[in-house]
Amino acid sequence: MNQIIDISTGQLLLALVFILIAQASSFIYHLGLNRDITIGTIRTFAQLFLMGYVLTFILKTSNSFLVLSVFMVMVVSAMFIIKGRVKEKQIPYIIPTFLTMLVSYLATAIFVSGLVVGITPWWEPRYFIPAGGMVIGNSMSALAISLERLFRDMRQQKELVEMKLSLGANYREASLDIFRNAVSAGMIPSINAMMGVGLVFIPGMMSGQILAGTDPLIAIRYQIVVMLMLVGSTAFSSVAVMLFVRRRCFGSGEEVLLTPL
Amino acid sequence: MTPLLEIRNLSFAYEGSAALVFDRLNVTVQEGEFILVKGPSGAGKSTLLRLICRLNKPQGGSILFQGSDITSIAPAKLRSVVSYVAQIPQMIDATVEENLLMPFSFAINAAKPRPGKEELHEMLRKFYLADVTLDQSAMKLSIGQKQRLAIMRALLQEPLLLLLDEPTSALDQESASMVFSIMERLNTDDRKTLITVTHIDFKPETVTPLTYTLAHRSLHLNESDH
Repeated sequence: MNQIIDISTGQLLLALVFILIAQASSFIYHLGLNRDITIGTIRTFAQLFLMGYVLTFILKTSNSFLVLSVFMVMVVSAMFIIKGRVKEKQIPYIIPTFLTMLVSYLATAIFVSGLVVGITPWWEPRYFIPAGGMVIGNSMSALAISLERLFRDMRQQKELVEMKLSLGANYREASLDIFRNAVSAGMIPSINAMMGVGLVFIPGMMSGQILAGTDPLIAIRYQIVVMLMLVGSTAFSSVAVMLFVRRRCFGSGEEVLLTPL
Repeated sequence: MTPLLEIRNLSFAYEGSAALVFDRLNVTVQEGEFILVKGPSGAGKSTLLRLICRLNKPQGGSILFQGSDITSIAPAKLRSVVSYVAQIPQMIDATVEENLLMPFSFAINAAKPRPGKEELHEMLRKFYLADVTLDQSAMKLSIGQKQRLAIMRALLQEPLLLLLDEPTSALDQESASMVFSIMERLNTDDRKTLITVTHIDFKPETVTPLTYTLAHRSLHLNESDH
């Protein structure tokens, strides 16, 4: 295999030409995105360089506590991103969502690195951190979509839910359609990704491995594991979070707690 | 004899509001009674019905159904015997038959006998819905037809207490008369216990309802009506 070609600082800065194109488009057509593009570019550089240094340090020290601490920071950051997108004030959904995310992501990352890849120890950072990162990143978007859908539909269909409750339904029966729609709305992007992978796009992980000199036939095996892992972890975390959060939408008398905004 | 429903010192305020809608409200309902609750808009008439079937939660006091505090009864079990029909009738996007049989798809009603098509046709006729077919879409019915269908659906699970929230408010004169006639028959012929909230001056011919006025955060019996 060929040796990987390093990107010099000058070459990295040359890539900023793409940002100039984006800035120009926003400026010419008054899209109002210049500030966000600038902040996004600075954050991309800062966050990824920071992650690079942290990963270099963790890979050198290979300490399980440090690995799990990084994992924890990633889950907490994902929770804050979800909180910023969902904007629900009435229903306390953050703690059940966070705990479910932590347990399901940890279980998935351990399963993949420890059993599927079979690395010892299971927290080996070279495998555990990227696997965890992909699970968290993918599932975070799914959870945000599902939670938004759940709260929106519970509000919009409150009268319909109350009609079913009035006819003897328990809260699970009364909100079954809303629950199903919320979970599937979150899962559809992962399922669509499985349909298009290898045809419409080459996923980031596989591209990265090929660029780094890995045999494409090995890279695809990893990518298949990743795709399956993402669908499974998204399904599990979405279902679990929706089950817990849906219960919180109802009071002790199984009355709907959400009121119109 | 244990009353069917007993409300003791009920207090309620909407979330985020300090103003009480009910302040130590008391009322007793015996089996077979027909109660009319009147009062100005915003007095809390609908809220009172919603509190009885636990769709809202009171701040104080207690509600007893057949002598048991409603908070000690599983919500689904309570609502299968205390049936509430909302002011705006809600239908699922399905046929009339599927809407009518919906209560039987819930676990609490699964063991109850399901009415057959003949029985449903007969009921439709009694509810002035003879021109409605079981396989037509419930969403395409008029508001008056939906209201009668909603009352019929609530009755199919054979509740012991029927709570009707402004059942005629959105209806024209003809549909309203039909609903009033149905309510009257349910009480006189079927011995159903009804609590109906209305702002309309309803005077049935064959029965004299107990009429209460909701004012000053409490219920007051209209002695003059009896």
